[in-house]
Order: sequence, then structure tokens, then C-alpha cells
Amino acid sequence: MMTLSNKEQLSKTINQTRDLLAHLENNEIEDAQEMIDSLATSGDDDLFIEIGKLTRNLHEALTNFQMDSRITDLAASEIPDAKERLNYVIEKTEEAANKTMDKVESCTQRSNTMAKDSEELLVEWKKLYNRELEPGDFRKLCNKIETHLQKNKNDADDLHGELTEVLMAQDYQDLTGQVIRQVITLVHDVEESMVHIIKMFGSMDGYNKAKGEVLIREGVEGPVVNAEVRNDVVQGQDEVDDLLSSLGF
Amino acid sequence: MKILVVDDFSTMRRIIKNLLRDLGFTNTQEADDGNTALPLLQAGSFDFLVTDWNMPGMQGIDLLKAVRADAKLKTMPVLMVTAESKREQIIEAAQAGVNGYIVKPFTAATLNEKLQKIFDRIDG
Repeated sequence: MMTLSNKEQLSKTINQTRDLLAHLENNEIEDAQEMIDSLATSGDDDLFIEIGKLTRNLHEALTNFQMDSRITDLAASEIPDAKERLNYVIEKTEEAANKTMDKVESCTQRSNTMAKDSEELLVEWKKLYNRELEPGDFRKLCNKIETHLQKNKNDADDLHGELTEVLMAQDYQDLTGQVIRQVITLVHDVEESMVHIIKMFGSMDGYNKAKGEVLIREGVEGPVVNAEVRNDVVQGQDEVDDLLSSLGF
Repeated sequence: MKILVVDDFSTMRRIIKNLLRDLGFTNTQEADDGNTALPLLQAGSFDFLVTDWNMPGMQGIDLLKAVRADAKLKTMPVLMVTAESKREQIIEAAQAGVNGYIVKPFTAATLNEKLQKIFDRIDG
């Protein structure tokens, strides 16, 4: 098959084109027509190959263009939007944590008071058993017990109300879970775009090699989410204690 | 016993303060990183430091080193409560003179146990 990349064919075509141009400049129309006809027939294969190449280039250019606009969308709106979403997650979780702790602190206070009241009452109750109670104090004790029971009932109702609020504060898990899932989808899209770029302009070998490696960050890194595949981190408090005791702690 | 709790997340400071209160330590104060903690410590009257590692500004490990380098503070017990769990980090903290190391997430029982261990050592 003849192609333009074939050197011999290329110089032949250049010469033919020069001749054609000369005929045209000299107004030798018939000769020019003849040359065009011969070029057209002899170069059929070349022409189709070139058209094929052009089509492929065009297709690639179009694909690149589409990807460019995807990357533009990602950078211009979707990633800033994702940052906002993640900030929402921080806000919601912080809100829920504080709300829960408010209620827990209030419940703790209530339970402390209940324990203290009951303790005081028990002291007097034991006096009654040991016949140490003055006759007039019996009535006082009865009143105290009635007040205590009434207060206990109210406190139990209030505790129930506060526990319900603790329960409701856990709705953050649903809300933030949905948002995080959307962000995971976005991260996946970004990953695909990046792999696409690597495929076109970079080295897939390098990519595949790096893909198999476990990522280890230098310095502080916060919670480790893949501790089971890492051997540079401890798996829990027991391993911290073992390590420290091996250092003489 | 006056305790300074240093963590950049207010919820974690609150959790630790609550747990400390349940253990009978009601005199606590908070700071959100080493830079705000160090002047408070230097101003005096603290007996114990509980600090996170990973914080913006001055990190917990640097706060620990600064405390050990300060003539007035160097003997103060320091308990680190952090998510940092690399072996080399735990070794670094130990070498810098930490008295206890708790990895997050942790339990009330762990906090109690480590505090007790530190106090036993100081008394003994």
C-alpha cells in the first residue's frame, strides 16, 4: 500500500504537486486537469488513509474538548460545591455532638441530684428501722418521701424527654451520610478524569505501579483508616501500651 | 489539681472535661493549640497537661518539647490524647518525655487507667 509517509512516495507527490502548480501558473489547464486526474486515481489509498487519520484526530480532539469542559466544571463549580458540602458535614456533626453533650450533661446533673436525695432519705429511713426517729419526725419523713417520689416521677419524665432529644440529634448521620456519598461520587469522577489524562499524556505503567502501593503520609496524618494494611501504625491502645512498655515505660 | 486540656476541636475538649469531672477533676481549663496553651501554662498554677498532637498553630509534640525545655514547667505530667498512631510518633513522644499516650478513639476507662498510672508514678 502506498502512503505519504513512504519517503519515495512523498517526494513523488511533492514533485507532482509542483508540476501541477506550474501548469496552473502557466495557464496550461488541460495539463493541470490531467495531473489532477492522475493524482486522484494513483493516490486513492493515501487519500483514504489520510482521511482516516484526520477523522481519528478530529474524534480525539472532540473527546479532549468534552473532557476539558468536564474538568472546567469540576474545578469551577463541583469542587467548590463539595468543599461547602464537607463544611456542612463538619457543622452538622459538631452541632449534633454539642446537642448530645448538652443533654448528657443535663441528665448527669439530674441523676447526681437524684442519687444525693435518695441517699439522704435512706439515712432517715434507716433511723426509722432502728427506732431512732423522734415521734414528730415520722410525719416529716413521710412528707419527704412523698416529695421525693413526686420529684422522681417528674425527673424520670424529663430524663425521657432529654433522651428523646439525644436520639433525634443522631439524625446528622443520615444527613451527613447523604452529603458524603455525593462527595465520594465527585471524587470518583475526578479520579476518572485524571486517569483519562494520564492515559493520553502520561504513563499508564507508572500509574499502575503507584496504584498498588499503600499510601503513607509523612508527619501528622490524623486518624488512620486502613490500619489493618499498614505495619507502621498501632492497631489500638494495647499496642501503644506494649510499645511504650518495651521502651521502659 | 488544675488541668489544662488542649485540643483544636471543642467537642473533644468537652468530652475530656466531662470525663475528668466524672473522675473528680473539676478544675479544668481549655486551649485550642500549643500557641495559646503555652502562655497559660507559663502563667502558672497548672498541675497537669492533657494535649492532642495534630493541631493548627503549635502542635502537641512541640508543646510537649516546649514544656520540657521550660525550667518552671519541665516536671509537669503530660498526657497525650491523639489520633496519631504511627509507631515512630509514639516513640518520638516517649523520647520527648510524655507521661502517657492515648490513641483516639478512646474510652473513659482508658483515660482513668492512664491518669491513675501517672499519679501512682508521681506519688511513688
